[in-house]
Amino acid sequence: MAHYIIDAFAMIGMSYIMGFLFYGFYRQFNARVQRRWGPSVFQNFFDNMKFLFKTETIIHGPMFFFGPMIIFAGAVTTVLFVPYLKDSNWLQGFSHSGNLILIIYLLVVGPLGNALAVGSSGNPFGVMGVTRGLTRLMGLEVPFLLGLALVMVQHETASVHAIMAAQTDFAHWNLMTNPIAFIVMILPFMASQHASPFDVVGAPVEVYAGPRVEFSGRLLGVLMTQNMMMTVAKLVLIADLFLGGATTIWALIAKTFALFLLTAAVSTSFPRLRTEQTVDFFWKIPLGLGVIGVIATVWFPWS
Amino acid sequence: MNLITKLLFLGLSFTPAATFFTWDGAVAWSLLNGITLSFDLTPLSAFFMLLLAIGAPLIAVPMLREKSDESAYALYALLLLGMQLLLLAGDFIGFFIGWEMMTWSSYLLLLRSPRTDLEGAQSYILFNLVSAFLLLAGMLFLYSITDDFRIQAVDGLLTADKLVLFVLFGLAFLIKVGALPLHLWVPRSYDQAPDLFSAFLSALMSKMGIYGLMILPLLFPDGFNEISGQIFNGPVAGYVLAWIGIITATIATFKAISQEDMKRLLAYSSIAQVGYIVTALGVGSSLAIGGALFQALVHTLVKLLLFITIAGIILQTGHRRFIDLGQLISRMPISFFGVLIGIIGLAGMPPLPGFAAKYLMYVGLIEAHWLLLLAAMILASTASFVYCYKLIYGPFLGHANSPEAKTATEAPWQYLIPQIILMGMLVALGIFPGWAIDVLIDPVLIGLNMTPIGTPAWNVLATSYGGYDGVAVMGVFATVFVLITVLFLLVRGNMHRAASPYDLSFCGEVPTADTPLHYGAGMGRELRRVPLIGWILRHTTTGFYAGLTRQTQAAAGMIGTLYGSNPQTWLLLAVLIFAVTLTIQSVTGA
Amino acid sequence: MTLHFTPVWFIAVPLLLAFLAPLWVRWRLLMPVLFSAQVALFALALSWIPAVRIAPILETIVIAPPLGIHLHLDAIALLLVALFSFAGAIITAFIWLDNGAAHLRERPAFILILLLIAGSNGMVLTGDIFNLYVFIEIVGVSAYALAAIRRDKTALEAGLKYLIVGSVAAIFILFAIVLLYLQTGQLNIAALAQAFSNMPAQMQLLIGLLMLIGLGIKAELFPFNFWVPDIYRGSDPEITALYSGVLVKAFLFVLFHLTFILLADPTVARNWLMALGAITMIVAELVALRQNDLRRMLAYSSLGQVGLITLALAFASEATTAGALFHMINHTFIKVLLFLLAALMLRQYASLKLTDVHGLSRTMPLAAGLFVLGALAVLGLPPLSGFISKLWILKGFSDVQTFWPVALILTAALIEAGYYFRWIRAFYAAPTDAASMAKMEGEKVLNYAPLLVIAGVLIVLGVAPFLLEDWLQQAAQALLGREALLNAVLGVQP
Repeated sequence: MAHYIIDAFAMIGMSYIMGFLFYGFYRQFNARVQRRWGPSVFQNFFDNMKFLFKTETIIHGPMFFFGPMIIFAGAVTTVLFVPYLKDSNWLQGFSHSGNLILIIYLLVVGPLGNALAVGSSGNPFGVMGVTRGLTRLMGLEVPFLLGLALVMVQHETASVHAIMAAQTDFAHWNLMTNPIAFIVMILPFMASQHASPFDVVGAPVEVYAGPRVEFSGRLLGVLMTQNMMMTVAKLVLIADLFLGGATTIWALIAKTFALFLLTAAVSTSFPRLRTEQTVDFFWKIPLGLGVIGVIATVWFPWS
Repeated sequence: MNLITKLLFLGLSFTPAATFFTWDGAVAWSLLNGITLSFDLTPLSAFFMLLLAIGAPLIAVPMLREKSDESAYALYALLLLGMQLLLLAGDFIGFFIGWEMMTWSSYLLLLRSPRTDLEGAQSYILFNLVSAFLLLAGMLFLYSITDDFRIQAVDGLLTADKLVLFVLFGLAFLIKVGALPLHLWVPRSYDQAPDLFSAFLSALMSKMGIYGLMILPLLFPDGFNEISGQIFNGPVAGYVLAWIGIITATIATFKAISQEDMKRLLAYSSIAQVGYIVTALGVGSSLAIGGALFQALVHTLVKLLLFITIAGIILQTGHRRFIDLGQLISRMPISFFGVLIGIIGLAGMPPLPGFAAKYLMYVGLIEAHWLLLLAAMILASTASFVYCYKLIYGPFLGHANSPEAKTATEAPWQYLIPQIILMGMLVALGIFPGWAIDVLIDPVLIGLNMTPIGTPAWNVLATSYGGYDGVAVMGVFATVFVLITVLFLLVRGNMHRAASPYDLSFCGEVPTADTPLHYGAGMGRELRRVPLIGWILRHTTTGFYAGLTRQTQAAAGMIGTLYGSNPQTWLLLAVLIFAVTLTIQSVTGA
Repeated sequence: MTLHFTPVWFIAVPLLLAFLAPLWVRWRLLMPVLFSAQVALFALALSWIPAVRIAPILETIVIAPPLGIHLHLDAIALLLVALFSFAGAIITAFIWLDNGAAHLRERPAFILILLLIAGSNGMVLTGDIFNLYVFIEIVGVSAYALAAIRRDKTALEAGLKYLIVGSVAAIFILFAIVLLYLQTGQLNIAALAQAFSNMPAQMQLLIGLLMLIGLGIKAELFPFNFWVPDIYRGSDPEITALYSGVLVKAFLFVLFHLTFILLADPTVARNWLMALGAITMIVAELVALRQNDLRRMLAYSSLGQVGLITLALAFASEATTAGALFHMINHTFIKVLLFLLAALMLRQYASLKLTDVHGLSRTMPLAAGLFVLGALAVLGLPPLSGFISKLWILKGFSDVQTFWPVALILTAALIEAGYYFRWIRAFYAAPTDAASMAKMEGEKVLNYAPLLVIAGVLIVLGVAPFLLEDWLQQAAQALLGREALLNAVLGVQP
C-alpha cells in the first residue's frame, strides 16, 4: 500500500516537473524560431504557481467548480494508469489494472469535465469552444485509435506492458516494425496535445473565447497543472508503444523529449487549421493511411 | 378505487420479474394439429426477461403519478404479456404471437399521446408490420423446409435456403432495431409517444429486435460461415450485418447531434447505440456477443434513466426543445445527476459500464481483425460525445431561456425513485463489470454454445487482450477527486460566485437579459461544415418513403376509377369479358 | 308424435315463419320470433354435428321426376348453415336491441331477412341444380328488396342497381343451367358431375364461363364486383352485414362446390380461380386505401377478404381449404361486427367520413375498442382468430412450397393495415370539432351485447382454435371429396 502511494506521488511529481520543463522549452523554442528571446524555461512553473496562489476566484455555480476537479482527477488517473518504466517496480501506478483502450478513454475524461464546467459558466463562446474541441476530438480519435489498433493487432493484446515487453531492442521497436501505425497515429496525437496547427479550439490570439474563457485564479491554475501532466502522460504512452518504453528515467525523458520536439517542430512550422479543416484533414490523410495500413497488414497475408 | 387500480397496475408491472424468478418447467399449448406452442425460459431469453423485469416496474412507478387510466393499463398488460410470450416462446408461432401483440398494443399506446400525428402512427405500425410479415415469411419458409416451427439449430439446408432465411429474419429484426435505412419510424414514434412510454420503446422494445437477431446464431450454430462464404477473415453475412450496424450508428449519431428536441435526440441516439449491438452481433465471436449483451444491458439502463429524467423535465417545464430550457441544474439537481450519469454511460466513458460494453466490442473487433469497422465505431462513439454534451448542456447548463425553465422545480418523487435506482445500478455495474460477465452474460454464452468470457474476480473485466479493474479505476478517480477538492478548498484564497449570470467575458461587452446567451439549439450546427457530415445530414430517407406512399396512393386512385357507379358499365364489362374469353378460347381451340 | 329432424327444416322453418308474419305482428312478437328462429336453427345445426360426422345426411323430396328437392347435409353444409344462423341471430339481436332503424323491425324486413336466410341455407344444402337456381333467385329478390328497404334516395338507388346487376348474373347462371340440362338431361348435381366430363370441351368451357361470370358477380370477384361498394354504401349497415357475412359466403360456397364437383380434375380451374382471387384481393385492398367513407372502406375490405378466401379455396389442398373455411367464418364474424359498429356510429354521426369521425373514441370508447378488435382480427394479428385462419392458409401454401400466394397475402395484409390503422388513428385522434362532441349521448351496453358476443368468439377461437379444427377439416374434406360425394349420392339413388 505504501509502495502504491509513494509510487503514485512519484509519478505525479515527475509528470508535473517534466510537464513544466517541456512547456518551458517549447516557449523558448518557439521564441527562437520567431527570433525573440522568449521567457525562461521555468516560466511555466512560475505562471502555474502564480495562478494557484491567487486570492480571488470567481465561479459560476457548483458545476463550474467541480468541472476542473473532474478534469484534474481524470488527468491524474490517466497518469497513474500509464506505465512509465519498463521492467521496474517503480513508476507503474495502477497500470496493471488497466490497458490501452482504458487509457485512451481516460484521456477524454478531462475534455468532458471541462465541457460541464464551461457549460455551467453560461458563456456561449466557451460552449462554442467546447463544441469545437469535441468536433476535433471526433476527427482525431479515429485515426489515432486506428493506429493504436494496428499495434494491438500486431501484438494481439491491449496491455501496454505486453506491448512494451515485446519491443526488446531498437530493431523491434514498433516504430521499426510497424512504421505505418506510427505515421497514422502521430498527427492525431499532436492534435490531442492541443498542439498547433490543430489548436484553433483554445487558440490564444485569434479567438477571444474557447473552453477556458471563464476560468480564473486558482481554477485556471488547476487546469494548467493538469494540462502539463496530461501532456507528459500521453508522451510516455506513445514512447511506451512505439519507442520500446524506457528502463531508466533518463531514457524516458530522452524519448518523450524527442517526441515533444517533433510536436514542437510541427507546431511552429504550420499555420493553424479551422476546426472543420482539421476534421476533414484527419479523415483524409491519416485515416487514408490507416486504411492502407489495414489493407497491408490485415487483409493481405504476406505481412 | 383509483388507488386500487394503480396498485394493480404496479403489481402487473412486476409480472416479468415474477416470471423471471419463478418460472420452472416448460409449458405447451396445442393450437392446432401440428402447431403446438411451447414456452420455456432459455438462458438467452432469461437475459432479456431480466431487462424487462428491471424496466417495467421502473417505468410503472412514474406512471402512477398520472390520473389512473384503465385502458392504458390494460394495453400495458397486453404489451407485457406479448413481450413475455415472445421471450418464452420455444417456437416461431409463439414468438410471432408475442411479437404481434407487442406491436399492436404498443401502437395503441402510442396513439394515446396527443402529439402523435398521422405520419408517426402510420410509419410506426407499417414498419413494424413489415417487420412482422417478413418474420412470418421467414418462419413459413423455414417450416416449408424443415416441417417444424421450433426455434432450434437447422442443419442440412442448402446455402441458398440459408441465405433466404438469413435475409428474411435479418430484415425483420433490423427494422425492429431501427437500422438504417429502415429507421424512419423510430425517431417519429419515440418523439411522439407519451413521454414515459418512449422509455419503454427505447429501453425495452428495441431489445426485442436484438433478441430476435440473437436467435440467428441459434439457428445457424456454425456461425454465418456457410451462408455466404468468407471475406477478409470473416463470413460475408456477418460482415454485411456489422457494416449495416456501424453505418446505422454513425449516421444516427450525426443525426442526433443535429436534433433540436430532447426526445428526438434520444431516439437517434437509441438507433445509434443499438447499431453497435448489431455490429457486435455481426462479428459473432464470443467476446463480441458478450459485448453486445453488455451493451444491451447498459443501453436499457441508460435509456430508462434518460427518458424518465427527460419525462420529468418535460413534466415540470412543458418544454422539450433545447432552445426553451437551460440552467435547470440548480432547480433540478437530482435530474441533473440522472442525465449526467446517463450520458456518461451513453458515451461509454470509464468508469461506468458503458465503457465495459464498448471495451468488449472493441476487443471483439480487434480480435476479428476488422479494423475498418473499429475505426467507424470509434467515429460514432466519439461523435456521440457531442450529442451527449448537448443533452446535458441544453436543459441544465447555460441560461434559462423560458419563463417555465426559470421557475421549474425538481421532478416529483415518483420520477426520482427510478432515477436513483438506475444511477445506483449503473455505478455498481461500472465498478463490478466482472459480476455482469459472470452472472448475466456467461450463462447466455454457454447457452449459445460459445466460450464464456470468464472473469477472475467481480471487479475485473478480463479478456484475452487484457482487461481492467473497475474498483481500481473508480477508486483512483474518486480518491484523486476527493483529495484535490479538499486540498483546493483548504488552501488559502477566496472563492465567490459571479454576481449575476450575465457577469461574463463577452467580447468586452456586457450581455443583458436580451442577449441570446443559450447555445442549446445551435450546438453542433457548425459540424455541417465538415464535408462528410454535411453530406450525411443533407440526405434523408423521408422523401423516399413519402414518394412510395404517394405512388401507392396514386395507383390506388387509378384502380379506384374502375369502380364507377354506372350499372351499364359493370354489365358491359361482364359481357365483354365473357365474349372476349370465349372468342380467345375458340380461336386458340383450347 | 316424435319430431323428425331433417335438413329441410333449415329451409322450411324460416319460410314457414315468414308466411306466418301477420300472426307475429298481431302478437307483437316479430323480433323475438326472428331471433329465436335463428337461435333454434343454430342449436339444430349444432345438435347434428355428431350425426354428420359419421356420414352425410341425404334427403330427397320427390315432386315430379326429374324435379325434386335433393338436400345434402355434409360437414361443410352444416358448418355454413350454422354460421349463417349464428350471424343471423347476432344481426337480429342487434336490430332488436337497437333503438334506431325502426324500418328494420317491421314486417317487410322480417319476411325478407327470413327469406334471405332460408335461401342461403337452401343454396348450401341443395343437391339439385335447378333448386339451386330457385334459391339463388329467392336470395336475390330478398336481397334487392332489403337493399331498398329504407326507402330513401340512396337506398332505392342501391336497390335498383342491385336488382339490375343481380338479375343479369342470374341470367348467366340460368343459361349455364339450361345448357347443362340440355346436354345431360340431369338436374342432380352428382349426376351432372358424372356426365360433365363427357361433354365436348367447348361446351364445358362455355358452361364454365357462364357459371363463373354469373357466380363471380354474385360472389364479388374482380372484375365483376364493381357494384359492391355502391350497394354496401347505400343499404343499411345491418343489411350490409347480412350481405357480407351470409350472402357472399353462400355464393362462394356454390362457386367452389360446383367447381370441385363438376370438374374431375379441379387443377384445370385452379390457376384461373387463384389468379382471380389474387387480383380481387390486391385490387380491392389498393382501392380501399383511398376510401374516405367507413362503409365504402369496409366494402372494399370485404372484397379483399373474399379474394383471399377465393385464392385459398382455389388452391384445393386440404390445409388451405380448411384455413379458408375458417377464414370465411372469421370474416363473417368480423364483418358483422364492423358493419354493426358502423350502424351504431351512424346513429351518432351524420356521416362516417374519415374527417368527421376524429375523436370518436371519446364519445364511443366501446365502439372504438371493438373496431380495433375487428380490425386486428381482419388483419390477421394474434391472438385473434383471424390470425389462426391466415396462418392455416399460409401454412397450407408453405406445405407444398408455393410461395407466391404467401407473398401476395402478406402484401395485401400490409396494404390493408395501411387503411385500417388510418381509421383507428382517426378514432383516437383529438376531435376536430369539440362542440359537436358534447351533445352526443353515451353508449348503451345493451346495444353492444351482440357485438361483445362476437368479440368473445373471436378471442376464444384465436386462443383455442382446436375447438373447431376437426369440424373444419371434415368440411374441407367434404368440399374437396368429389368421389365420396358421388358415391354417397349416386349410391342412394336408384
